[in-house]
Amino acid sequence: MTPWIEKQRYIIDFTISSLLRRKVKNIGLLTLYTLIVFILASTMFFTHSIKKEAAIILQGSPEIVVQKIIAGRHDLFPISYIDSIKSIRGIANVETRLWGYYYDSLVGANYTLLSPPDNSGTTQLSGKTTAVETDPDDAEALAATKPLFEYNGALLEPGTLIIGNGVSRMRNISKGDYMPFMAADGQIMNLKVSGTLSSSSELVSSDLILITDEDFRKLFGIAPQFVTDAIVTVKNPNEVSMVAGKIKKRLLDSRPIIRDEILRTYDSIFNWRGGMMIVIFSAAVLAFVIFAWDKASGLSAGERREIGILKAVGWETSDVIQMKFWEGAMISLTAFFTGVILAYIHVFFAGSPVFEPALKGWSSLYPNFALTPFINAEQITTLFFLTVVPYTVATIVPTWRAATIDPDSAMRQTGE
Amino acid sequence: MIELVNVKKVFNAGNPSEFSALNSVNLEIAQNKVTVLKGPSGSGKTTLLSIVGCMSRPSAGRVKLNGREITSLPERFLTDIRRTTFGFIFQQPNLIKGISVLENVMLPAYPLGEKRAHLKMKALNGLAGLNLSSKASSQVEWLSGGEAQRVSIVRALINDPSIIIADEPTAHLDTKLSYRFMEIVEKFKAEGKTVIITSHDPLVYDSAMVDHVVNLRDGKIEDE
Ligand SMILES: Nc1ncnc2c1ncn2[C@@H]1O[C@H](COP(=O)(O)OP(=O)(O)OP(=O)(O)O)[C@@H](O)[C@H]1O
Ligand SMILES: [Mg+2]
Repeated sequence: MTPWIEKQRYIIDFTISSLLRRKVKNIGLLTLYTLIVFILASTMFFTHSIKKEAAIILQGSPEIVVQKIIAGRHDLFPISYIDSIKSIRGIANVETRLWGYYYDSLVGANYTLLSPPDNSGTTQLSGKTTAVETDPDDAEALAATKPLFEYNGALLEPGTLIIGNGVSRMRNISKGDYMPFMAADGQIMNLKVSGTLSSSSELVSSDLILITDEDFRKLFGIAPQFVTDAIVTVKNPNEVSMVAGKIKKRLLDSRPIIRDEILRTYDSIFNWRGGMMIVIFSAAVLAFVIFAWDKASGLSAGERREIGILKAVGWETSDVIQMKFWEGAMISLTAFFTGVILAYIHVFFAGSPVFEPALKGWSSLYPNFALTPFINAEQITTLFFLTVVPYTVATIVPTWRAATIDPDSAMRQTGE
Repeated sequence: MIELVNVKKVFNAGNPSEFSALNSVNLEIAQNKVTVLKGPSGSGKTTLLSIVGCMSRPSAGRVKLNGREITSLPERFLTDIRRTTFGFIFQQPNLIKGISVLENVMLPAYPLGEKRAHLKMKALNGLAGLNLSSKASSQVEWLSGGEAQRVSIVRALINDPSIIIADEPTAHLDTKLSYRFMEIVEKFKAEGKTVIITSHDPLVYDSAMVDHVVNLRDGKIEDE
């Protein structure tokens, strides 16, 4: 082993015993540091993941949704409109949708009820309604065609329903259980759960309930010649707004909503939440700066004395700085990894309880709102450069000043 | 051999508190001899010792170590000389608290990066030589005053220095321990080491093994 490595080992050993010597102080320091990293990492993970979730939702949302409007309020959509839309050039496909919100007074939550586009129940269905031709090499395009939720083999038949995870948790029901609904005519409909949905995004499927066309109409009291709205697929994505304009022109009481508008709505929701996160984030950064500054502003008398002794017995200034570097690096790295791991568990497994107050306005359906883990190297690197690097530097700076003190100071030390 | 030519040391130069601690000191310290620097408090003994031991630089004048001028060397070289040539025994033991006696003793050797097993053996041998074997793994705050001082002696010797510098080594020791210290000094001399001690303790400067006594007063060497 080369002397250099052996020397580093000695210095590291000494640093560790130095840290253990001031156990209480260093554990306090480590705890505070870990806490700050934890908050920073949690906000980062959270905002990033929620943006990712939003992107997934948008990928699955239709290019154009057409509603019928009566004096500004949206109304049931007559199926007879479909043919007139279909005849517009540039349109690839038109499908009708049946969906609505149902308020469950028992748990005080709103569910989204949806009748899947093709609910014959004989084929594996998907909630994805736009059919796009994809290039198999294009990962993004593939992701776009991936269904938003999967039935897990459940069969949707009249009298049954398939529920999202949030509903399942909230009502504490699963496959085989019955769920009562109050229908439009005042009758109670008891539907049997035939399965639960799985999804790449909890946000999409959590509050979702799938039921058959027939049951939906009965529950909401919708006549067969009406649907909720229609979704339109265009041949050329560049023509979306032009096609929307044509629909509007042809059906004066229709309101085509294009994906970009939905995007804007989501964006404002996520940005608001992201904004709150930025506030928390900045507060944590500020705390860190104060904390690092406090470290940088000086060494305790005991530390100075020790450095004096080390220099007197033959340590070079650079040796002392190396020791302090290891000290800073060890504390930083420990705090960094602990903080990041805790934040990961916090955000992706525990449902961000620390951010609960900010999140719970979201929906009562997300009692343990579990985000899908999305992490990239960039985030971790940013966090690393925001914490470990400045802290380690802050540890070295005052040492450098102290280390330039003449070693003969040790000769003039009078006892303690 | 150490040679001091016209060495001056001025503290706080240019300030109202300017103080001249050493005024034109000329001194030769012979090899393998015991030299005692003696003088009243404030006469500049510690200041002189720290210059000889490459701990601080003179404001003027030159210091030569075995014929080599060392005054103008950069810090790194001074540290290197200090580490390999000098062993320091301070007035206070100056041990680092919270770590074991063994670690304290090994501390000066860390920057040299020598083999661990070898270094540990050297340290344990050194401790055994001063009857401290049983204390190797103790914390330093548990040591008695005399033990602490002996530990600091072992630490001074860990890099096998050729010159040993001791500042008022007996100031905190009782008569019996002071004699014990002088026995250790005798052993150093027998091993061929050069010893420089400051003291105003007659037990030290009147001792038979002392070869040379230098009297300092107000930063100057007094002729006998
Ligand atoms: N860093 C300093 N700044 C200003 N004055 C200093 C400094 N160091 C030492 N002195 C002064 O230099 C003079 C000599 O100090 P020194 O410590 O060498 O004396 P000494 O002979 O060792 O005394 P003692 O026997 O009390 O230890 C003293 O008057 C002291 O106040
Ligand atoms: Mg003194």
